[in-house]
Amino acid sequence: MTEVTTARSALRTRPGRAGDLDPVDSTTLDGRTRDALAELLLTMADDEFVVGFWDSEWTGIAPALEQDVAFSSLAQDEIGHARVFYELLSRLAGGDADTIAFGRQPQGYRHARLLDHPRTDWAFSVARRYLYDTADAVRLEALAGGSFMPLANLVAKIRREETYHLAHLDAWVGRLAGGGEQPRSRLEGALERLWTDALTVFTPLTGDAESVLVEAGILGEPLALLAERWLKLTRGRFDALGLHVPIELGVPRADGRSGHGADFEWLWNEFTSVYRLEPGATW
Amino acid sequence: MTEPAAEGRVETVGRLGDGADPDVWEVFREEKEGDPMRHAGNLRAPDAELAMHYAREFYSRRQESVRLWVVRRSDVHDLSDPDLLQPPLDRTFKKPGGYVMRDKLEQARRRAGEVDDR
Repeated sequence: MTEVTTARSALRTRPGRAGDLDPVDSTTLDGRTRDALAELLLTMADDEFVVGFWDSEWTGIAPALEQDVAFSSLAQDEIGHARVFYELLSRLAGGDADTIAFGRQPQGYRHARLLDHPRTDWAFSVARRYLYDTADAVRLEALAGGSFMPLANLVAKIRREETYHLAHLDAWVGRLAGGGEQPRSRLEGALERLWTDALTVFTPLTGDAESVLVEAGILGEPLALLAERWLKLTRGRFDALGLHVPIELGVPRADGRSGHGADFEWLWNEFTSVYRLEPGATW
Repeated sequence: MTEPAAEGRVETVGRLGDGADPDVWEVFREEKEGDPMRHAGNLRAPDAELAMHYAREFYSRRQESVRLWVVRRSDVHDLSDPDLLQPPLDRTFKKPGGYVMRDKLEQARRRAGEVDDR
């Protein structure tokens, strides 16, 4: 991924694309901060990108027409968020957003292992998306009001949309929890399978990247503290719904964003299939 | 799925995708600030919360609305009784077309001194 971390003209603008971004002046950041921010952005972009593609697997087969349209639209929203994160990353550290998004081998992606599971059944997708969206909300909160304005302003916009995503998923978790024996047991089974991987959203960044970002005022708190806050939130919700989830939390593992398995490789084959026909082509 | 109704949840919770029939909700939208609310269409949802989410995705996911009203169809007071709306009697006297106005209008204008004698 050298093309991602190589510093290049960061003032480049692309009229008509990624209009959600403020002008980016990476010279306001020192090299360490810029590299740390680039790493964080890549993890967030990959998270949104991969969850968007997994959830788009429901297009055409969701439990009802309305849910089909809604879930597909939510999936598109996430890919939209990934797009601006990749774009911000490219302006900060060089490279081209499309190349970063589609041009890596599967093991080069830095998304959380929570997002390595396939679509499975509806309860599983709801559970996974709920765990991801709640974790993402905590992470976005820690980035809102940060000192790097292009990111802080972007996060403010994204949070307004994510609030509705979360409300949508929360409604579904409530429905499945209160919808009878089968929906409830499927939801509990999915949460049990996913629970240990949910923490991977808070996988520590490499080296001292987190403390660099915290010192620079870009990230409010280290990811391990965010993980604790997230745990309180989700545990409270599950308790209120009477859901039995085997919650045992440790410190997020260092390898939570690597070692993607065969399911992700299948998805990667799908979402890069057009790109790989002619990399660099203009569509 | 054929979960027994004996659990008593089916009626209160509603279902999607298992053969039950969720409520129909009518959606009205305001395209831009100040426009009248116009009927946009309808959708099925098991409760108001999901109905609102679906309405957002159906009628503003491309930002084409500034306001939506979502109304459960069964909450709408329906008036379609033909005896009230289409009574079988001649009502043309209630329409302007039921009168020949030209002569009366001319006389009125003359009285008001508005007519020039070209």
